[in-house]
Amino acid sequence: MPVRGASLPYATCPYCRTLILRQGLNVEEIGKVAVLPFDVSPIQLGTTIGAEGRKLTVVGRVRWAWDGGSWNEWLALAETGAQFWLAEAAGTFMLTAEWPQLLDRPEVQAFANGGTINTGDAIEVEGRQLFASDVKQVECLGSEGDLPIPTQIGTRMTSVDYRSASGEVLSLQRDERSTTAWFGDSWDLVSLKPGNLRAIEGWTIPGEMR
Amino acid sequence: MTGGKAITCPACGGTIEVRAAGFSVNLVCQNCGSILDVSRPEVVLIRRHERARTRFAIEIGKRGTLFGQEWEVVGALRRKDQIAIWQEFLLFNPYLGYRWLVAADGEWQFGTPLADRPQGDRNRVFWRSDSFSRLGRDQTFSTTAVAGEFYWRVKAGDTATATLFQSGETFLSREISEGEENWTQLVPVEQSDIEQSFGLDRRRLPKRKAPSGLMQFKAEPGLEQDDLGRMFLLAFAAAILAAIAMAVLAGPSTRTSTMVQVPVGGQIAPIKVGTITVRRPWQFVTVNADTNQFENRWVDLEYNLVDRSSEQSIDAYGLVEHYAGSDSDGPWTEGSHHGDTMFGHVPQGTYDVYVSGSAHGWPVDPLPNDAWGQVETINVWVEAETGTMSWGMWWTLVIALFAWPVTILWWRHRDK
Repeated sequence: MPVRGASLPYATCPYCRTLILRQGLNVEEIGKVAVLPFDVSPIQLGTTIGAEGRKLTVVGRVRWAWDGGSWNEWLALAETGAQFWLAEAAGTFMLTAEWPQLLDRPEVQAFANGGTINTGDAIEVEGRQLFASDVKQVECLGSEGDLPIPTQIGTRMTSVDYRSASGEVLSLQRDERSTTAWFGDSWDLVSLKPGNLRAIEGWTIPGEMR
Repeated sequence: MTGGKAITCPACGGTIEVRAAGFSVNLVCQNCGSILDVSRPEVVLIRRHERARTRFAIEIGKRGTLFGQEWEVVGALRRKDQIAIWQEFLLFNPYLGYRWLVAADGEWQFGTPLADRPQGDRNRVFWRSDSFSRLGRDQTFSTTAVAGEFYWRVKAGDTATATLFQSGETFLSREISEGEENWTQLVPVEQSDIEQSFGLDRRRLPKRKAPSGLMQFKAEPGLEQDDLGRMFLLAFAAAILAAIAMAVLAGPSTRTSTMVQVPVGGQIAPIKVGTITVRRPWQFVTVNADTNQFENRWVDLEYNLVDRSSEQSIDAYGLVEHYAGSDSDGPWTEGSHHGDTMFGHVPQGTYDVYVSGSAHGWPVDPLPNDAWGQVETINVWVEAETGTMSWGMWWTLVIALFAWPVTILWWRHRDK
């Protein structure tokens, strides 16, 4: 099995769809992962992102579904091992880094303790005012590659998205084990300065992305 | 087939290509028009339709190049507001995301969804250091027909409120729907470029009409305010005036009534209802018949107004019928337990009113329903009245008065 992110505990076997937990030299079978539905995402394992002088490599993907649709969250690793989620939404992208200092906020703590957040609720991050735009219960549709979270069939979490007027995004993700906070920006694909995009049958990768 | 994915429509069994697999949430089956949810591996039928699909100026699946990039038409919407009907096309490229083509009144615009919202107040917004001023007032529009696939839940009848802001040839459109706010930048495109890139079915283009530009591209602020409301008010006032005038003309009223029992499968000889008097040179006389509740029966009634002085009779006919049943479309009923008959021109005099008639079962008369041969009867309450108004004439007037404003209203709502 190829290991792309040695620091990541969970990996999906591409052959038998088994979710594996790696702890030191131990390898443990956690469960089965659903087959990812076919899509025409331009991202694939191995795609690189060069925006803002960063050098990130995509090493894993989770596909989440809610009652209004489904989307891909790609896990990208920096050379330092820092984790980023690259979320695809209707042809645009949100690139977020973990923002653990937010977990000390009372409203985030209340959410982590099972409280609810309503759309329209405001939060200030890095001097920006963000408003909760989506509060949804999501369910894992499948995964591939290496990931920091388990994604076996039946995995669920609560996901809250905040947005600012200028495009900053905050994502709070709560599952039965923990709550994490991710903060970043909205992008279109070309400004992410991507490399090694997936070749999609019937389409030509635009020149500036090759 | 391109890079898409083939699915089977759960409603009609036809094969459909999902062009933006993984992005599309809802898809309209190109065979039967049913709306499907394709956001999960298992395709779910949301709404079943069995009808021909709506045609649009550009076919779903057409590829073309605009501003140096290749786009595929994956969705099409017909939308309308108070003054216009237009078409919008959803363009997709997996590397570039979504764009829009808006066709209204012979004008085309290319739309880019904005991740960064313009900031400002009601009349002026700023976006990427440009200032845009509001054009016209907020317009509520609705989606009247859909084809193809969409990255959101879509259905005919969806409504949203749109506001346009303009700076030179560039427009910013703000759409608010169910609390969600979306901004799109719109720039003009030549129709010839669209035709060259995608091919056009000119017959399916939104009609050019009225000096008020569709989507208010050219409309001056305030032009979208129309006087339809005033037309309705005027027609309403005229109808009331006419009713008052007719009541005055109708003159004094006398009335008489009785109840008759008509056997089903049989008939009754003339029965006197009573006496009425026409005091003007002539008046309208109406005879109303109301029956008890019945199903699948009809009652033929004949009324005779016999002038006491001349013994001359004026005759008219009435009918009360009501049917019920159920078929493949579910239960149905037809007819009414009430029937009005009007004598249009009854000369001055005193009249004895007689009623006779027969009743029948549908499709055949019923058999006597018990051993003693008791026959089913229908109770008919007959009331004759002079000095009534010719509601038929009045309704004709109302129709004439409201024809134009209702036609306008119908035109605006015809796609609902």
